[in-house]
Amino acid sequence: MKKKLTGRIIPVLVVLIALPAPAREKLKVVTTLPDLSYIAQQIGGDKVETFAIAKGYQDPHFVDAKPSFVLKLKRADVFVQIGLDLEIGWVRPLLETARSSKIYFGGKGYVDASSGINLLEVPSGDAAQLRAKGDIHVFGNPHYWLDPRNGKGVAQNILAKFVALSPNAAAYFQKNYDNFVAKIDSAYAGWKEKMQPYAGAKIVAYHNSWPYFEKAFNLDIVAFIEPKPGIPPTPSHLVSVIKKINQENIKVIIISPYFDDKPAKSIAKRTGATVVKIAPSVQAWPNLKTYFDLFDFNLTKIITALE
Amino acid sequence: MNFRKFVWLNYWLILGVFFTLASVAGAQNPSSKKRGYFVSRNNKVVLSQSAAVDSGKTESELKSELAKELGVETAKKTSESETTTQQTSAARSDLFQNMNPNISVIGTVLGSANTMAALDRNVDLSFQEGEFSFQAAVDPYAKADFYIAFGKHGESELVPGHDDENDDEHGEGGLEPELEEAYITFLSLPLSTQLKVGKFRGKFGKINETHPHAYNFIDVPLVYSNFLGPEGLNDEGVGLSWLLPNTVFFQELTFQVTSGPAENMSFARAEGNRLLYLAHLKNFFDLNENTTLELGISGLTGPNNAAGDVTNMFAADLTLKWKPLRNRNRSFELLSEFLLSERSEPGNDINSFGFFSHLRYQFANRWFVGGLFDYSEFPEFSEFNHKAYSGILQFFATEFQKVEFHYKYNDGSFFDNFSEFKIRAVFVIGAHGAHQY
Repeated sequence: MKKKLTGRIIPVLVVLIALPAPAREKLKVVTTLPDLSYIAQQIGGDKVETFAIAKGYQDPHFVDAKPSFVLKLKRADVFVQIGLDLEIGWVRPLLETARSSKIYFGGKGYVDASSGINLLEVPSGDAAQLRAKGDIHVFGNPHYWLDPRNGKGVAQNILAKFVALSPNAAAYFQKNYDNFVAKIDSAYAGWKEKMQPYAGAKIVAYHNSWPYFEKAFNLDIVAFIEPKPGIPPTPSHLVSVIKKINQENIKVIIISPYFDDKPAKSIAKRTGATVVKIAPSVQAWPNLKTYFDLFDFNLTKIITALE
Repeated sequence: MNFRKFVWLNYWLILGVFFTLASVAGAQNPSSKKRGYFVSRNNKVVLSQSAAVDSGKTESELKSELAKELGVETAKKTSESETTTQQTSAARSDLFQNMNPNISVIGTVLGSANTMAALDRNVDLSFQEGEFSFQAAVDPYAKADFYIAFGKHGESELVPGHDDENDDEHGEGGLEPELEEAYITFLSLPLSTQLKVGKFRGKFGKINETHPHAYNFIDVPLVYSNFLGPEGLNDEGVGLSWLLPNTVFFQELTFQVTSGPAENMSFARAEGNRLLYLAHLKNFFDLNENTTLELGISGLTGPNNAAGDVTNMFAADLTLKWKPLRNRNRSFELLSEFLLSERSEPGNDINSFGFFSHLRYQFANRWFVGGLFDYSEFPEFSEFNHKAYSGILQFFATEFQKVEFHYKYNDGSFFDNFSEFKIRAVFVIGAHGAHQY
């Protein structure tokens, strides 16, 4: 009887010990945005598993620091955030509650993806007056992932961390990184060509989240529906936007899905411009699974509206 | 030269030096270089304004039409000159890169009126509190938080047998400085624990840890002010919190040992060499991506006199939140807390009970409407009770300021029923704090 039992127990133990082993080799990566998760997955391949806290259709500034995210963070080996002050309202409480020095600011597994990125709209002047201009980001506009070329910088920051944490797989990560960069370069060349006929096209945006996108694809955002970043539109401001659209014959108003589209529609009704909901992040809609889908989708929608 | 002349001469001299310095400083101010950019952008806006808008419609007609369509008031005209967005590309700013901690200052202004016949004065306006907060990492192991408030402390309370005349002294007093909280937190100790040392608001129930200006109602719920005082449980000691190894849902267990509040109807500070012990278990569940549920239980025990008598307190809290990820203009929240006090006195035990329930609904991007029901007995007099029914309206202009109205109908067993109206403005400058959840 005893023998029988041990005979049964040993295989079970072997299975139990063997099971977690391969799982442990995978780096657990938690990112703030799904765009970062996508890029991390591209670099890490089958040696990492990723989880994004925010959904692609959520306003990344107003994500809630739900304690349930702490369960993911507590076990994470790597944490990647967009940085600057985009996630300022929720990343700090989450990292503090997670009690993991590994992924805490400055820890072994902490990645600020903005490191080395060329930032736009870095404010200068009197810091104490910044908020009079609306919800201005003190370190510069944080929506830099919307220029696909910055995706390479993000990938590089993630690569460096993966290599440092799993040096044995360095060559594998490097190869994935090279592939990703090559893919971005060729895709970007294609997008540029596609946008060539519309170079300098004037458009209107709801919120100031598109300066990197604008620069990458040679668009010209001439007005915002928000009078100041984060401040809801007033009728008098909308009047000035309508005038501008009529005068400059603007055809497109872009807006992220998480903003109220009523003011944009009111303007469209009076001007003939088209309201185009474009994706601020990967997975903003279920079919936008990759970083490349994001730009394919946005550019196609804008081109359709421009024509 | 007589003395008067001498003073005037000095005055002009100082003024002259001041203006010279100011003009030099102005010329060196980097922002003045930008002005040209703004003006050119402004001119564009101004020019475009003079042109006709829409065929056959005046500007004001269109404006009111849009206002109706969007359901907004025709807000005061925002100055067009400020609507430009900076499009400068530069190296990362060094604005905030100094060694100061994150600093913010929160102001709270309160206006109140009531229908209490017994009072000489039924309306009041007061600067409730100016709170300075400082936060920074101490080193790789710890962070520190300081909150220093200049405020009117010890608000008047409706307590059976309480002498109303003493309250006026508090009300008319100046703003007294108080170290509200000051603590160091060791963030990642072994076994997923965290240690807090200093003076802090106790983790009792749900709202005690939160500073009252962040509440979604103006008056502290009656059960809290009656059981723990208007400023809540806040004293000196240590706290250890442990993140339980539960992989299904979030569970956090907290123990705190403190010296006991200095003045309190329920506890007496360090009487008979005894301390105050607190335990709290927080459970948090994601019901779906939009809805969460938090359940907490707390226990608290400590001395209430020198003779060795003890007060035990228990609390249960429930928070249900619905916040659709795809829509920032709607949300719903239910918060209820139940408190039980068991006070032993020589030859006598007093058991008293109280609870509050708060509902809050967001009906527009920046507007919230709420209701609050309060019921409370008193830890020293369980035969008396106080009920209140409240309606609340909140407007958040931005993340950095809010205005709230609170109407409260008081119904008690030891006073004549009366109404209270309160309006409160809260504003913050400085570092961008974490959002509440």
